[in-house]
Amino acid sequence: MTMSMALTRLYLDKATLIWNGNVVTGLDALANFFEMLPSSEFQVNMLDCQPVHGKIRVFQEQATPSQTTVLVVTSGIVKFDGNKQHYFNQNFLLSAHSTLNNTVWKIASDCFRFQDWASS
Amino acid sequence: MTHDIEMGSNLRNCMAASLHIHEENMPKMKSEGELDKVKGLEPEEMCEDRNPLCTNLPDKSTNIKEDHEAPLPIIFGIEAYKKLPVCKVRSHQVNSLQRRARCWGIFQRRYVSWSETFSPGIHPSSRREQDGDVAMRDAHVGPGVRYTPYAIPTYWRRDSFHRGDQTHGNPERERKPPEEGLEGNRQDGTSRSWFKVTFPFGIKYDEKWLLNLIQSQCSVPFNPIEFHYEKMQVQFFGENASIAFVLKKVSGKIWDEENERISIFVSPSAVPHSEQKKLKSTKVKLIKKTNIKGYEVPQRALDLQRLHSDPDPMTLDIEMGPNLRNCMAASLHIHEENMCKVKSEGELDNVKGLQPEERCSDRNPLCTTFPDKSTNIRSILELFPKLLHLDDHKIPPPIIFGNEAYKKLPVCKGNVFGSETLKNIILQFLQQYYWIYDSGDWQGLLDAYHDEACFSLTILFNPDDLVPSCLHKYSKGSRNMRKLKDPVLRVQLLKHTKRDIVDFLNVLPKTQHDLSSFVVDMCVQTEKMLCFSVNGVFKEGECLLCIVNDQLFVRDAGPIETQGAFSTPVPTLSSSSVPTISQEQQEVAQAFSTQSGMNH
Repeated sequence: MTMSMALTRLYLDKATLIWNGNVVTGLDALANFFEMLPSSEFQVNMLDCQPVHGKIRVFQEQATPSQTTVLVVTSGIVKFDGNKQHYFNQNFLLSAHSTLNNTVWKIASDCFRFQDWASS
Repeated sequence: MTHDIEMGSNLRNCMAASLHIHEENMPKMKSEGELDKVKGLEPEEMCEDRNPLCTNLPDKSTNIKEDHEAPLPIIFGIEAYKKLPVCKVRSHQVNSLQRRARCWGIFQRRYVSWSETFSPGIHPSSRREQDGDVAMRDAHVGPGVRYTPYAIPTYWRRDSFHRGDQTHGNPERERKPPEEGLEGNRQDGTSRSWFKVTFPFGIKYDEKWLLNLIQSQCSVPFNPIEFHYEKMQVQFFGENASIAFVLKKVSGKIWDEENERISIFVSPSAVPHSEQKKLKSTKVKLIKKTNIKGYEVPQRALDLQRLHSDPDPMTLDIEMGPNLRNCMAASLHIHEENMCKVKSEGELDNVKGLQPEERCSDRNPLCTTFPDKSTNIRSILELFPKLLHLDDHKIPPPIIFGNEAYKKLPVCKGNVFGSETLKNIILQFLQQYYWIYDSGDWQGLLDAYHDEACFSLTILFNPDDLVPSCLHKYSKGSRNMRKLKDPVLRVQLLKHTKRDIVDFLNVLPKTQHDLSSFVVDMCVQTEKMLCFSVNGVFKEGECLLCIVNDQLFVRDAGPIETQGAFSTPVPTLSSSSVPTISQEQQEVAQAFSTQSGMNH
């Protein structure tokens, strides 16, 4: 299994990634997107998180119980192969999904942007 | 833009705002160590600078309902693997947040460069690695890279960029001591060629049977080091690049007696413990020079034959060019008898530590252990993918095809609103919010927040740094959990309820936001909730700060909340319109002006 496949599995089926203004929705599109990205090294310098009010139901079409949601924001430096390094900001909405035995968190929304995206 | 700022009744309240402030003029990110530019990641590119690709896929709307329940224990990662760390969420997220930081640190792109499958540090949850979710956990592997056979593995290129990360005490990196790990070797340029081979389900194979199987695949003698069973796996080490090469190739293409595929993981490794004592550590540092005793050593070429065929002791000043730097995976076998004296800055006399695996029959001591030349060259190119000359022969550029084709970053684009309607709503909201925010009318902001709203602020430099004094006021309230470990402070700095939020905002310096600099990414849109990020610039006094990152959640206000909200008329920003107001309105405006201190 490739790493892009593993990364994709962290997302909900209908999760959306907004990557420097590019909108990528759904696991297939996400897998393709990650596969096409050059390899990278990330350094996370900032991390903050907040609970999102109560539970919200994210990307559920059927009448399922709503999910606990957490907002996570990060910032730091990333270097993609063949490109100069960038400061980046990235925000996640994580949604909890409970089974009988445990609870798993998955990404409902992912928003990534270079701080200097305009000159990239 | 000039929009009348009248907040629609369906867009008041509840925001979980997370402000992130960076200093605009901060040229470098300072960590506890010194973080310079990313060294080592400057390979000699065979191809031109990349032109971005473009992807554009539509997003989808969702339905959201709110509910209120106690938070549940968190298991980060994917379902099946039971060994994942458990992060527990409580109302005061203390240790769980710290552990979550550990978990998030994992969430970085890591690819194993030597194999198309995971390194042994990451364990698949089931035998069928292709199916099911994959567990991510703290792995001892370094930040590997995507499998790109024609690129230098970046874990060989660890540098100050990474040292900065390491000195943060980044727990998920779990760096090994230099004598065990690879860092010291990389920085020294020492050549290390050990590999670790893992059979993930090797427990079911007899040792002799397995070794015979491996030997049958290899044309050269195979000598496993520290062969052992570990849980479900078989692990051993090897020093022969050709063996590693072969094993990597045959992974998944050989079958056991039950007709099941055998997977093999191959990854670079530190020197095994049993070998460390035998191996002499050596630093071979080659310094750049074009003429070396009559030799002309092109920057991109490493003439292995010439290096050691010269019977005279010579001083080699060959800098490993960017394409050869950190190619520590090279398997250089130097015949001891023919070893020349190589001098480096460290005044080393001999190339030590590069123990030959076997004697070469010919006089050329530098060779891989493949029997034929073409395989020999191919294996060298696998290890030195950017080599352009080998033994005075020009090598054609590598052919890149398939999924590992030339990868380019997508084009960076502007705002993402989702629709024109949402764009108008969001822009109006932002205009109004920041107008109130910049005016210092903190009472006005109260109406913008939900009763139970959350707010937090982070700033990315230390108070001791030489920064404008205005920024120190932000650092007091900074809730960067990468650095802030005090659990009490972590709770205190997460502002809760609109009263607390506005009181906190009140102590921050007066600002002026530049709406024209704003970039909006609308992440989630439902019938009752909007989630969007805002990046932009604001000014505080004489300080020009950069990049405000606001993450706002806006939810529909209930009828009770809407009553009485925004009873004070908000002036429009439209400079072209001159509204006519009644006498009564004039008096109200005058009173407002007096109270707020504004002149108009």
